[in-house]
Amino acid sequence: MSKKGKGFWGRLEDVPREILYAILLIVFIIPMLNPIGFPVPISPEVKKWKDTIEAMPAGSAILIDFGYSGGGEPELGPMAVAVYHHIFRKGGLKAITMSTSLEGPLLWDKVIAEVNPAKYGAKYGVDYIHIGYISGTETAMAAVGKDLRATTNTDYKGASLDQYPIMTGIKDASSFKLLIVYTTGGDQSEGWVRQWYTPYKVPYLCSVIAMMVPTMLPYFKAGQIVSLTSGAQAGQMELLLGVPGRGIKSADVITLTHLLVFAFVVVGNIAYYGRKASERARGG
Amino acid sequence: MSLFVRRQLPIVLVFVTALLVMVDYFLKIPGTGPVVKDLQNWGIILTAFSLGFGAVNLFYLHTRHISRRTAGQWPFSIWLLLMIVVFTIIGVATGPTGPQYSWLYNASYFALSATVYSSLGFYMTTGCYRALRARNAEAALLLVVGAIALLRNAPAVAVGVPIIIPMEAWLSAIPTTSAQRGIMIGASLGAIALGVRTMIGRETGFLGRLTEAERRGGT
Repeated sequence: MSKKGKGFWGRLEDVPREILYAILLIVFIIPMLNPIGFPVPISPEVKKWKDTIEAMPAGSAILIDFGYSGGGEPELGPMAVAVYHHIFRKGGLKAITMSTSLEGPLLWDKVIAEVNPAKYGAKYGVDYIHIGYISGTETAMAAVGKDLRATTNTDYKGASLDQYPIMTGIKDASSFKLLIVYTTGGDQSEGWVRQWYTPYKVPYLCSVIAMMVPTMLPYFKAGQIVSLTSGAQAGQMELLLGVPGRGIKSADVITLTHLLVFAFVVVGNIAYYGRKASERARGG
Repeated sequence: MSLFVRRQLPIVLVFVTALLVMVDYFLKIPGTGPVVKDLQNWGIILTAFSLGFGAVNLFYLHTRHISRRTAGQWPFSIWLLLMIVVFTIIGVATGPTGPQYSWLYNASYFALSATVYSSLGFYMTTGCYRALRARNAEAALLLVVGAIALLRNAPAVAVGVPIIIPMEAWLSAIPTTSAQRGIMIGASLGAIALGVRTMIGRETGFLGRLTEAERRGGT
């Protein structure tokens, strides 16, 4: 059908995607350049996450999995940054990180550079460490849970773990009081439940990309995950901890783009019913 | 190579290995722990080896594309192989977390990966505009549920219209979790069936290419 033949409603229904892209881009860029400061509610899950770390006794070891890829960094990176701020500010905790994603060590470097642990007096090898990428995903989780040193003897730069005080007394899953996972993969987020929560009952905090949340809800509702958040809630975590960063900046963008998509859905439906009504009127 | 080596021995190995891992996971019988620990570490080494094997396979596949000048493919194959060589050389020379390697990763792969992933937002937006239409009762229901989820995930909307919070919470806790549990239980039962069939030699895909007679257990 020609454009002329479509009528107003038909043209509105089939508005070129380039126009929709352009509107989305404008709505995206404006709050990035000039943050509006919309209110951000703190969800119970984010509060529970913070309370769990807050309740950790001094000297507790936390295993952190950087299990996300570069594509997920804009969403999960800000959450990881905010949580590291909390861990270092609280102090006295051992943050031992590994990666089930090949890109994990590189992305961890970016996060640590953003956090700047030195400003909290935290030192590499004493308060935090990265023991590198361990291949095998679920097999790696099971192996680390059984005997960490049998899986790797070096940190992510290849230096022996024996030289770092943080690794003293760290043997297996029983050495850890908490597990934190940031991931873009279902194998990782579900694998940690199977390989760590089920056999060792290690409390598990899980942060995934927003589209993965429904797949993880059954584990969360069953109590196998203490708190389940999406990276899109990083702004809430930053607000709760008082460390504004990339997350809170993107909260305005998330609000406006979601409202825009809602408006698009409404307009699309008005156009659909408008076209149907005009076709009926012409037919009648 | 005899049929015993090609078929029966691998099946016996798979059966014994799977049994050991399962016994250790579910029953915690003393003595199985150290054996399973070694098996898991072998698994990690094999997975790491498979990454290198994958790189070799990529070279094999793409050098063929280049030598045959496959239309619409061979220039990209050259670029791919060039990138593998550059990343490998810099990674080996400076370490996989060295500053040069990190720069290369951040300036190329990371930026592209984040861009490609982010571009999904544009496709989803146009998809919502064109597909979320109340054409019938089922589509209207999907539209309403989608709209509630959409508005709940906009932080400021949840503050301004708080009624949306319990509505979305109910949708997440009851229909979504129930449906997801059903999917997971179904998939798990399928995985268990596949595992049992593999253990007893009814699934032979992992053995590689067997003849039809061999698959049936003949000679």
